[in-house]
Amino acid sequence: MSLAEVEFAFFFPIVWLLYWLGPRRAGWQNAVLLVASLVFYATWSLQLLPLLLLTTAVDYVAASWLGKHPKPEDGQEHGGRRWVLALSLVSNLGALGYFKYAGFFVQSLSELLHLVGFQGGFAVLHIALPIGISFYTMTRVGAMLDVYYGRIPACRSPLVFFTFVSFFPQVIAGPIGRGGDLLPQYEVPRRLDAERLASGAFAFLVGFFMKAYVAERVAEYVGPVFQDPSAYARGLHWLSLFAYATQVFCDFAGYSLLAIGTGRMFGLELPENFRRPLLSTSLMEFWRRWHISLNTWLFDYIYGPMTTGTGFMRARYRLGFIVVFLASGLWHGAMWTFVLWGFLHGVALVVADRWDQFYKTLCRKDRRYVQLRRGGPYKVAAWGLTQGFFLLTLIPFRAPSLGVAWTFAKGLVVSGGSSQLEAEGPAHLVLIAGWLVAYHVIDFERFRQWRERFFALPTAARGVLYGLVIVFLAMFAPVGAGAFIYAQF
Amino acid sequence: MSYAMIRAVVVEWLDDQYHFGDAEKLIGGNDELSFLDRAILDSLGFVKLVVHLEDLYRIKIDRKNLTRVNFDGMKKIVTYVLSHKDYRGPR
Repeated sequence: MSLAEVEFAFFFPIVWLLYWLGPRRAGWQNAVLLVASLVFYATWSLQLLPLLLLTTAVDYVAASWLGKHPKPEDGQEHGGRRWVLALSLVSNLGALGYFKYAGFFVQSLSELLHLVGFQGGFAVLHIALPIGISFYTMTRVGAMLDVYYGRIPACRSPLVFFTFVSFFPQVIAGPIGRGGDLLPQYEVPRRLDAERLASGAFAFLVGFFMKAYVAERVAEYVGPVFQDPSAYARGLHWLSLFAYATQVFCDFAGYSLLAIGTGRMFGLELPENFRRPLLSTSLMEFWRRWHISLNTWLFDYIYGPMTTGTGFMRARYRLGFIVVFLASGLWHGAMWTFVLWGFLHGVALVVADRWDQFYKTLCRKDRRYVQLRRGGPYKVAAWGLTQGFFLLTLIPFRAPSLGVAWTFAKGLVVSGGSSQLEAEGPAHLVLIAGWLVAYHVIDFERFRQWRERFFALPTAARGVLYGLVIVFLAMFAPVGAGAFIYAQF
Repeated sequence: MSYAMIRAVVVEWLDDQYHFGDAEKLIGGNDELSFLDRAILDSLGFVKLVVHLEDLYRIKIDRKNLTRVNFDGMKKIVTYVLSHKDYRGPR
């Protein structure tokens, strides 16, 4: 079951009613959410549910111990604390490494040995990937490190901790929760608030529209071309690439809104995950707006400590970009295409940083360069470069192999193949393009008043509009929408 | 070393690295202003500023304290540096 499937329309009201009609106590509310979350997870994989529970139990015990043995005032760590943290990290990263990366590394090693003439090799491992493992592992590792460094107190209640880790809207594909933000919310009783409920329902509806209509509609233009790029003409390669950019954005931002909306309807505020990234005028800005919960995690727990620590990486900001984006690439999937994708983004950030350094020398010499940078033409050029780079790097992100990625990339410039593709007419594409522009433009200062006017409409008028959107979805959303791209990561 | 002197160091760094003479104008005399919210500094800028201050003042900022609460704003940054137990003035 996913948040966009029909089954969820039955599951959610039952959980919601139990949650709000029961005693207004944190214990009851968390118990309802925990049971619902375990049921939700079991619908994906009953066999791998014990893994989630066992590794969460290890973290709970480890965090409790760290809470009882805080860092001494003199700042000197003692061995016990480090061992307990290591135990938690081994449990988390060991499970992630085994289930997600063991097959990839064994296969890569086998291929490497074959390349250098070694006959034989290793048997290919086929290990089932536990759904959501990348997300819930990061949630727990973040919380563990926060407790270790003393940024948050250890969670005392196992019920709260297990609910925090396995909360069903988040557990499959995020947003990646932070202990400091979420644990305090689980520790107190939540109150039913009409405004928050309406806001949650609105976020859910927008998310559902993005996922079930936009992402699913444009998917028709993506799959066939990426599957066999040499069979299609240049124009279809470009169309497919733009369609994939739209799909991946609406699929994941849509899922995030579904999760945020669901959380809000339970009185919980999950972290924002997308902030109109297609408006970004630099890569740095792009990664502050796209998959925010992952990128802030990588920044706070890897990049920051690495470049401010005392080791080799101190102040090596550019090398840090490459390290972090290689990690981000591998996080997305155990495939060389993702490693390439991460490497390209790391290198691009290095190039952007070098350009910034060079430009700063110009600005120091002549302030007219400052004005130039703040002007419209510079911003438009920077926007085009940023978004163009993002678009092109989606080729390895989507392609099933490096070979196919290369064929697809060549197809963007070399003509050949069929210019026919079986898909719905262009009316949907025009509508989607218009909606995508409107979704981003509404964030501009001059258009914000439109959004405010919309929310100032009488409830009944807004209800009618929401109803029309639902009718539209019922008529035009492709049947079978439900699987999310990011759930596979 | 006073509040004003450390503040001047931070403003100079902001000008040199990001704002080219406009840092003081952006802060607008309000030292409580959030650097992140007002785009005076981004998260990477914070990391660079932390390393700069650690090197300049020979202090080591504890990971526990490396949070937005402690560093997001002029007053917070300067107060933190002044109150650091190892603080002995600039290198």
